[in-house]
Amino acid sequence: MRTLDLRPHHLVLWAAFIALMLLMPQMVGNGTLRTMIFACYLAMFAISWDILSGRTGYLSFGHPFLIGIGAYTTGILTRRYGIPVEASIPIAVLVTMAGGLIILLPALRIKGSYFALVTLAVMELMLQLVPVIRPDLTGGTRGISRLPALTRGAENGYYLAAGLMLAVALFAWLLMRTRLGTALWAIGMNEESVRGSGLSTTRLKSFAFLVSAGIAGLAGAFYAHYLGSITPRSFFDINILFQIIVAVLIGGAGTIIGPIIGAFFMVFLLEWLRPYMPGTERFFVYGSIALVLYMYQPKGIMAIVETIVSKMKGSRA
Amino acid sequence: MTLALEVRNLVKKFGGLTATNDLSFDLAKGESLGLIGPNGAGKTTVFSQIMGELRQTSGTIKLYGEEISKLTTSERIAKGVSRTYQVPRPFAELSVRENIRVGLMPDSLREMIFGAPDRNREAELAQSVGFAPKDLDKTASELAMGDLRKLEFARTLATGAKLLLLDEVFAGLTSGEIGMIAELIQDLRQRGFTFLMVSHDLPAMEPLVDRAIAIERGTMLANGSFADVLGDKSVRASYLGES
Repeated sequence: MRTLDLRPHHLVLWAAFIALMLLMPQMVGNGTLRTMIFACYLAMFAISWDILSGRTGYLSFGHPFLIGIGAYTTGILTRRYGIPVEASIPIAVLVTMAGGLIILLPALRIKGSYFALVTLAVMELMLQLVPVIRPDLTGGTRGISRLPALTRGAENGYYLAAGLMLAVALFAWLLMRTRLGTALWAIGMNEESVRGSGLSTTRLKSFAFLVSAGIAGLAGAFYAHYLGSITPRSFFDINILFQIIVAVLIGGAGTIIGPIIGAFFMVFLLEWLRPYMPGTERFFVYGSIALVLYMYQPKGIMAIVETIVSKMKGSRA
Repeated sequence: MTLALEVRNLVKKFGGLTATNDLSFDLAKGESLGLIGPNGAGKTTVFSQIMGELRQTSGTIKLYGEEISKLTTSERIAKGVSRTYQVPRPFAELSVRENIRVGLMPDSLREMIFGAPDRNREAELAQSVGFAPKDLDKTASELAMGDLRKLEFARTLATGAKLLLLDEVFAGLTSGEIGMIAELIQDLRQRGFTFLMVSHDLPAMEPLVDRAIAIERGTMLANGSFADVLGDKSVRASYLGES
């Protein structure tokens, strides 16, 4: 336990969070549960993005590409080859890690906006290529439908998504509390100094990338089965990317709970706005909120919470 | 005499500009050598080549008798050489303790994940450069320049290197802080550390080095005792503009 420096309040907070998620179906209706399912998947995408980009500072604009590989792999394996989901999902995770590694890893040698542009280009390339290369497998522009469902009903779907999100969050939280997490965080602050401390930053970034890709592939595969169908536009799309990044920025980059808070905040805000703004104009609202928050508190809601907690502690002392 | 560092015929060209021009020098184990020269003389470029941050155009660099020119920076550090920078490069949002922790980390993913940080060693290193125990949890962004230099020293020492390259170690410091850093260097010299040091503050540097070399435009001007090097005509001409 010394490795992770765990304190009693950590366990209490995790237990409270898990209990709240488990009790949610007793407190809300099916409609809200369906919104929460999407929020859980978005939270997983955001955690995945944050492990690479929030920690190391390498802004990935290609995350939908990774999520899409996971979704398409399980879709093709289950619908075209009849492979059961118990096998197709683990394969999808491995294919995402390997595919991401081959295509995006060379980009980790370049920095800043160049890395972001290369990853964005890869995502756009996939959007154009998937419909035309082997449409017999990918289903072309119409995609693949009637994917086997993993659960029946909103409640079961929610338990699956929430359980998966909690497992991913706990795994990422524990990993980031090790010295490796500190090193990844340090890369985001000053990569040269990390190298100057005798650490191979290429190895560290590659590892962060693999973990990030693995989570993206896992969440993408489960999400595809939840949706029941996949199309190029529903995965390799810049709107997915914006939702992921804005969720992280709103919640707080470099934390685990931040992307979860950001994802839930954003999904529920969009749902709440739907009756007033049925079109895409409601995306302007969340964009504006993200912009204002980023201007006044770039570290997101989590930093605001931490400031309040430390002030309360200070006033008690 | 065991040599800690042997630099032979080092050349570094950036297009048409020769930043290091056939430079050769040795540094014995436990010795402290001052590297002086005017702005743009190529001192930091020499450091960067020794550390592998820049690859030399030609020439060889040996560390404790082993050719290191083809090694990466992290491999060179593992062999026992580390450096500080002109402008300290802390991990601004990490605490003093965590900054030192990065220097102490083994270059192995497995050990980073499953190994526990050595909190005693972290505290020991922080205290060895003059931090009080209460400073350990301060974030680097809260520290003054003198403390940032101390932090960089601690992180450099944490790598386990015995040959330290100090780049403009007194830059931006108050006279009190200069005294504090000088004391630290003297202490490390007594503990057997080897130094290659760059500073424009010659009076502060003089008592800390056994000898000096002067370069200009990457070319060696003089090599000898500190007084001899400073008395050298070509050095005075390049440094002080004396004709």
